[in-house]
Amino acid sequence: MAETSLSRQARAASPARKRRTDRPGPFDYARKRWLQLVFLLATIFLYAPIVVLIIFSFNDSRRGGNVIWRGFTTDYYVRAAQNSELLEAFGNSMTIAVISTLFSVILGALTAVVLWRFRFPLKPGFEGLVALPIVVPEICLGVAIAVFFSYFGLYIPPGTPWPFNLTNIIIAHITFSFPFAAMVIRTRLQTFNREMEEAAKDLGASEFQVFRDILLPHMKPGLIAGALLAFTLSLDDFVITFFTSGPDTVTFPVKVYSMVRFSVTPEINAASTVLILITLILTAVAMRFQTFGDSR
Amino acid sequence: MAEPIISIRNVSKYFGDFTALEDITIDIRPGEIFALLGPSGCGKSTLLRCIAGFETPSTGDILIDGKDMTEVPPNKRPVNMVFQSYAVFPHMSVEQNVAYGLKMDGMSKSEIAPKVAEALEQVKLGQFAKRMPDQLSGGQRQRVALARALVKRPRVLLLDEPLSALDAKLRDAMRLELVKLQQEVGVSFVMVTHDQSEALAMADRIAVMKDGRLRQLADPVTLYERPADAFVADFIGRVNLFDVTGRAPFTAKSLGALELPPGAEVPPVGDLVLAIRPEYIHLHPDTSGPIPAKLGDVGFQGDISVVEVTLSDGRAILVQVEHDETPALLALPLGAPVSISLDLTRASVLPVSDA
Repeated sequence: MAETSLSRQARAASPARKRRTDRPGPFDYARKRWLQLVFLLATIFLYAPIVVLIIFSFNDSRRGGNVIWRGFTTDYYVRAAQNSELLEAFGNSMTIAVISTLFSVILGALTAVVLWRFRFPLKPGFEGLVALPIVVPEICLGVAIAVFFSYFGLYIPPGTPWPFNLTNIIIAHITFSFPFAAMVIRTRLQTFNREMEEAAKDLGASEFQVFRDILLPHMKPGLIAGALLAFTLSLDDFVITFFTSGPDTVTFPVKVYSMVRFSVTPEINAASTVLILITLILTAVAMRFQTFGDSR
Repeated sequence: MAEPIISIRNVSKYFGDFTALEDITIDIRPGEIFALLGPSGCGKSTLLRCIAGFETPSTGDILIDGKDMTEVPPNKRPVNMVFQSYAVFPHMSVEQNVAYGLKMDGMSKSEIAPKVAEALEQVKLGQFAKRMPDQLSGGQRQRVALARALVKRPRVLLLDEPLSALDAKLRDAMRLELVKLQQEVGVSFVMVTHDQSEALAMADRIAVMKDGRLRQLADPVTLYERPADAFVADFIGRVNLFDVTGRAPFTAKSLGALELPPGAEVPPVGDLVLAIRPEYIHLHPDTSGPIPAKLGDVGFQGDISVVEVTLSDGRAILVQVEHDETPALLALPLGAPVSISLDLTRASVLPVSDA
C-alpha cells in the first residue's frame, strides 16, 4: 500500500520536473531511508525478545532475576538436559504434538475435501461451525472442553500408563488445531484443476484411485503446511492444556509457566532456545518438502 | 455404410431452465474425423462430455458400439479424451502419465513399458519420457495428453478444442499432424472446435451447432457450397447476406430484382436471405458492371485480396479479387466509383436461421 501511494505521488510530481526524475523502479525503494527504518523497526519488534532470550540462556547468573549479564556459560543447557521434570514435560509436549497433528491433518483433510467437493444443505452453516474454534476465545474453549470432560466423566485415572495419560490433552488439541489444518488444505484445493480429476477417470481410475493418485499429491503442500500449523499450535498451547491436563501430566509450556512463577532462571531460556531450534528445523524441513511437492 | 461407432439418439440436456442440447441425433462412423462446430455456448462441449460420460443426457441415448452407455461411468467407457487444458498430471513424468491409464486397467509393468514407448514414439516424444510436465512446452504437453489417451486404444478419441491453447504457427502444424496421426492409428476422432477453418481443414464431417441445436451435418465442401441456413452460411467462411422480399423474382433492397437461374432450390415459406460468397462476386474497377458501388478498403492477403465495397444504399459487402487484379484497385482512391456483378448460379436462397 505504501508503495502504491508513493508511486502515485512520484508520478504526480514527475511532469513538473524533468523527464529523468521518473518514478523510482521497484528496487529503488530499498534505498529509501524511511523504508529501511520501517524494515529495521519491524525486525527489532519481532526478534528482539527472542534474541534476548537466547543471549541470556548463556548467562552465568547464580539465581533469580537473570537480567544482569554475569558472563558466558553453557551450564544451563546441561542443567536443563538433566532436569527430569522438564524433560518429561518436553517429551509429553512432543508426543501430544505429533499425535494431535496426525489426527488434525487427517480430519482437516477430510473436512476440506467434503467442503470443497460436495454441495449439501446447510453447507454454509457447517462451514461456519468448522471455522468457529478459530475465533472462539481460547479460554472459553479450554473451559468448555474441561467441563465437557468432567460432565461425561472422561477423566484420566491416576497411574494410567504413558502415553494414554495424555489422551484428554490430545483430544483437546485436535479440537482446536484441525480447523486450521482444514482451512489451509481447503485453500490449496481451490487451485485444483477439475479436468485433472476427469482426465484420471477418463483413463479408467475409480473415485478412490483419483483421490489417491491425483488429488492427494496435489494436496500435499497443503497437508504439510496444515501439519506444521497444527504442530506448532499444539506445541505452544498453554490455556487449553492448562484446563485439560491432569495433576501428573505436565506439558512444556505449563512446566515453564510453573518454573517462571518460582524464578526466571537461564535454564528456562536454554530449554526455550532448544524448542525454537526444533521448530525452526521442522519448518525448514517442511518448506523443503513443500517446494519439492509443488512442481506446478 | 459401416455400422456407426457412436450413435447419439435424440439427446437433450437441460441445466435447470437452460437448454444446453436439444434433440441431437448424430452417428459417428468408424475411422472418421468428426467435428462439432459452433460458437461458444452452442452445446458442443456438453455433447462431447455426454459421450465421455461426464454429463448424463436428460433424455435420449448414447450408444457406443451398439451398447447403451447411459449407466456406464466415464472410467468404464471405451473412449478417451484429450482435454482443453490437456490435464497432464503435474506430479508424474511423461512416461508415468502415459502409463497411468494402462495401470488402471490392471496391466503388468512388463506389458505397459513397450506400449508406452510405442505411444511416445508415435507422438515423437520418445526422448522426453523421463521429463516432468513443467519442463515441457504447451505443444509437447498436448502430445503427452494425446499419447496418454491413444495408448488405451480407445474406440473413439475425443478432443476438446485441441488446438486452441497453441500459438498460431504451431496450430497449423498440429492440424496436419493430428490428421496424419488419425490416419495412422485409424480410430475415429471427435473434436470440438469453434474455429471453422480448423474444422474445414481437418474434419471428414462437421456438425454445426447453435443454441443447443444441430443446424447442419455435412462434409466440409457441402457445408461451404450448400449451407442449410443463413447461420451456417455466415459461420462457415465469408459470406454476404441480403434480406430478400417477394418471389420469382426476388428483390433485395441493395441489389434490386434478382433473376435466379432455373432450378434453384428455394425454401417454400418464411423469411429468406440471399447468400453469396465473396469469390462469386466480380468487381469491375470501373462502372461497366450492372450494380454500382464505391470502393472501400482493399485487404491484400497475397494470393487474393478481400475488398470492401459500399452499395448505393450504404450497405458494405465483401468481394474477393484475384492477385492479378489487385494492383489496378490499389491505384484507385478510396471511394472511387466501381461496379460489381453477381454470379447468381453460385448464390443460394436460405431461410433466416433463427427459426
